[in-house]
Amino acid sequence: MLNNNSQIEEEINSRSGPRESRKPRGRLLPFLYLLPSALLLFVFMIVPIGYTFYLSFFNWNLIAPTKEFVGLQNYINVFTDPTNQKVILNTLVYIILLVALNFILPYFISLIVNFFIGKMKGPYKILFFIPSLFSLVVGAMLFSWILNPVSGPLALFLRDFGLKVPQWTNSGAMAIVVICLITNWKVFGYNFILLLTGLGAVPKNILDAAALDGIPKWRVIWNIVLPLNKGVAIYVLILTIVEGLQYVFTPINVITQGGPYYGSSNLLYHTYLNAFVLYKTGNASALATVTFVIFLILLFVEIKFVEGRKQNAD
Amino acid sequence: MLTEKRNLGWHVLLILIILAIMLPVLFMISNSFKTLQESYHSILQLIPAKPTLTNYVTLNKQINLFRMVANTFLMAMIVTLGKVLTGLLAAYAFQNFHFKGKRVVYFIFVATIFVPFTTVMIPNYLVIAKMNLLNNVIGVALPQMCDATGIMLFVKAMEKIPTSLVESAKIDGIPNRKIFMNLIVPLLKPNIISVGAIFFINSWNEYVWPTLVLKDKNSFTLPLALQNYISSEGGTNFPLAMALAVIMIVPPLLIYMVFQKYILNSISSSGLK
Amino acid sequence: MTTTGYSIELEQMSKSYSKKTQVINKMNLSVVPGEFLVLLGPSGCGKSTTLRIIAGLEAPTGGKVLIDGKDSAQLSSTQRSIAMVFQDYALYPNMTVYQNLEYALRVHKVPKQIRQQRLAKILASLNLTNYKDRFPAQLSGGQKQRVALGRGMAKKSKIFLLDEPLSNIDVQLREKARDEIQRLHAENGQTIIYVTHDQQEAMALGDRIAVINDGKIQMIDTPANLYHNPANLFVAQFVGTPQINVFKVNYFNHQLIEENGTVVANLANYQAAGLVEDTDYLLGIRPENVAVSLKAANTDFPAEVESVVDYGRYQQVTLRAFDRLELKAVVSDWPVGTTRNVYVKLSRENLLLFDDQTHERLDANPEARFVLKGGQRRKVEA
Repeated sequence: MLNNNSQIEEEINSRSGPRESRKPRGRLLPFLYLLPSALLLFVFMIVPIGYTFYLSFFNWNLIAPTKEFVGLQNYINVFTDPTNQKVILNTLVYIILLVALNFILPYFISLIVNFFIGKMKGPYKILFFIPSLFSLVVGAMLFSWILNPVSGPLALFLRDFGLKVPQWTNSGAMAIVVICLITNWKVFGYNFILLLTGLGAVPKNILDAAALDGIPKWRVIWNIVLPLNKGVAIYVLILTIVEGLQYVFTPINVITQGGPYYGSSNLLYHTYLNAFVLYKTGNASALATVTFVIFLILLFVEIKFVEGRKQNAD
Repeated sequence: MLTEKRNLGWHVLLILIILAIMLPVLFMISNSFKTLQESYHSILQLIPAKPTLTNYVTLNKQINLFRMVANTFLMAMIVTLGKVLTGLLAAYAFQNFHFKGKRVVYFIFVATIFVPFTTVMIPNYLVIAKMNLLNNVIGVALPQMCDATGIMLFVKAMEKIPTSLVESAKIDGIPNRKIFMNLIVPLLKPNIISVGAIFFINSWNEYVWPTLVLKDKNSFTLPLALQNYISSEGGTNFPLAMALAVIMIVPPLLIYMVFQKYILNSISSSGLK
Repeated sequence: MTTTGYSIELEQMSKSYSKKTQVINKMNLSVVPGEFLVLLGPSGCGKSTTLRIIAGLEAPTGGKVLIDGKDSAQLSSTQRSIAMVFQDYALYPNMTVYQNLEYALRVHKVPKQIRQQRLAKILASLNLTNYKDRFPAQLSGGQKQRVALGRGMAKKSKIFLLDEPLSNIDVQLREKARDEIQRLHAENGQTIIYVTHDQQEAMALGDRIAVINDGKIQMIDTPANLYHNPANLFVAQFVGTPQINVFKVNYFNHQLIEENGTVVANLANYQAAGLVEDTDYLLGIRPENVAVSLKAANTDFPAEVESVVDYGRYQQVTLRAFDRLELKAVVSDWPVGTTRNVYVKLSRENLLLFDDQTHERLDANPEARFVLKGGQRRKVEA
């Protein structure tokens, strides 16, 4: 043992010089661990963002060997073309509906579960979350069955009262509402759990103190709980918009394909349509870049509120 | 007494929500065991009068069900293993090493969560096409083998491991890869299970990117197959589609039943900064 | 097999995390092979950081660490030959007791037979043989602490670092654990550096104790010297319970005069070189050197009894002199039912004077010691 050790020691000692130069691998080691993810993110995230930006200055059909440089024309189209304008407007409607259904509603319910009921929090969490496990294709199928104007259960139920289910796929506005309801079915439980966790972190003694002072519960929630939970709430709000706009893609494609007349399309679906159905790659790239910029702005809002809060807390 | 009465009202509301969420799923399961006729006539009957497997048999005749389940499973498995592995390695680099620009690199990694799918889909499609991976589940999986959400969750989990453990091992001259394999990975087992389960379920249900890559019916995953059974013009054979949907929801439900606690904990921690 | 420890030297070692906060300030320290050195200080004084730098967990921002005479920065962890026990024990939760002890040896490819022999001996000596297949979560605090100790022993390293290893176990078990550590040191002859904030632990264990505050070594010496000849006010106040009495006095005409004008000690018969006439000093006197008597004869000044705490073996008396000065005295034969009024005598041999400004003990100057003229002096190292 001893011999062995001293041999190794001598061997290592004979190599001199500062530590860094002796162990070059030591400094590269963290990058070795980072390599797989960095490589994947670089090839399938960073480079594509750049390439999409590059494509947005060309007219191309995804297949032709040559691309025609058109400058800012695609960007001008994004804001002047009537279809694009309609789609941008739809996107705003989507955002408003998504925020109402997938953020405000679960927030309200999580407040009730956290502050107004004593037990059963666990079972509600477990059950609310179940639809999050299912594909949006399943959700789209279920809703088109329930809301089928001729043979759907809702139509049959309403018939007894002399009412009818409208042909909602014929109206852009109604289709948007249904599509948002489908994502609501899936996302509700997920957002509910995120918000409930945030509320659970609000110190109980603050609420007890307010209760002793005889302050009504809803006022305490409004004046103390909501401000304290702002960080988590804004995180969920932005997640709702960013992921919601991507989630609605599935029911749009399954049920309406953006119709009628782009009435239920949004920025993301329209990008897909331009790229892979209409083969207007340049238009699609410009739309994708605009979407990217909007999401980037949302990211900075998130950092400002959520990450800033974290630093303050430290 | 008063507060209890109030509570009851809230419980009624919450139970109504659960019914609204769950009834469609229960009807779906029930209808998948009804014939087309029965599903029309007894639409609001939860228990089928004459349960039948007709829809499942028909489904199996019309499409290669086994192959589609296999495709979906293979794709979800590759994606899950890829995300977990790259995520663990990257999280270890961020958590256990100090290097210049670490914060910036971590920020860029996390920021990729906010990149909309449409911004990368065209170039990724072109790359996958060039690699001859269209109509191949590997083409679906490859661009998705790294997910910053996973890195973030693993970093959070590693933060909870006392630093003294790693330091103790370092003083004892244990090399980094052994610390990773023999200490970090075993200690993160619950997190690996829950994050892996979430990744698997999400990938199993994935629709958008697969529709671009998989055009040949033989390469379809289950969500694409189900979409084929839904007609936007009406005339969908719902019991048939529901049978396929039931097949689709079973694996995620099973995973959830087994790992429910882990999964919900992971999701909770993803929201807390 | 007994191993001899390595020497450890810190040369002008500094550590700072930002430009503003200097955690350790040009520290010099020399630990001889086989020594048991205790780093003692309040929390946040830099003692743990010092230990972590010696362990190689952190790099100093200035100066050098020499291990066995070689620059530590150039050495691999094997060459440093260091084992360390952490405050929270840092036991690997996914490994059994035996696997915890064995892990480093296995990674370094120590033959299985040697491993088994060595570990069997360690487990037996720490009374852990019956627990070797348990996981850390199934152990009590004291058992965990012994496993941590055993894991450090298993390496047979030349240096053993212990970072507050006893702070997380019950008080009753601490004395036993201390004995274990001392036995371990006697058997293996490793160089041990032991960090603690508990002065009693430090006094019980250390060959020498380095008292650290504000990132500097205030004094490094044997426990007895630390107690009797503190280098400065901080050491005097940090070491010893109840705390040393300290109050301001003026030296005038061979007398120490309290601020209200009362003479508290007449030094006419004592050597008192180094004291400057009409200068303010801080006078320190340990409670056991404050004698209390009921008669005025041969005492220094009167005082009132505020409270008495009887510890059985001794009594701790809180006195108040001149209506404002609080003094603590430790006596062993306190008469029951004593009146409030008593007389105090300060033991001349044990008076400590500190500079009013720098708080240094008067140059720790042997001349400043109040010894009866012609008496013996203790040598003070600083």
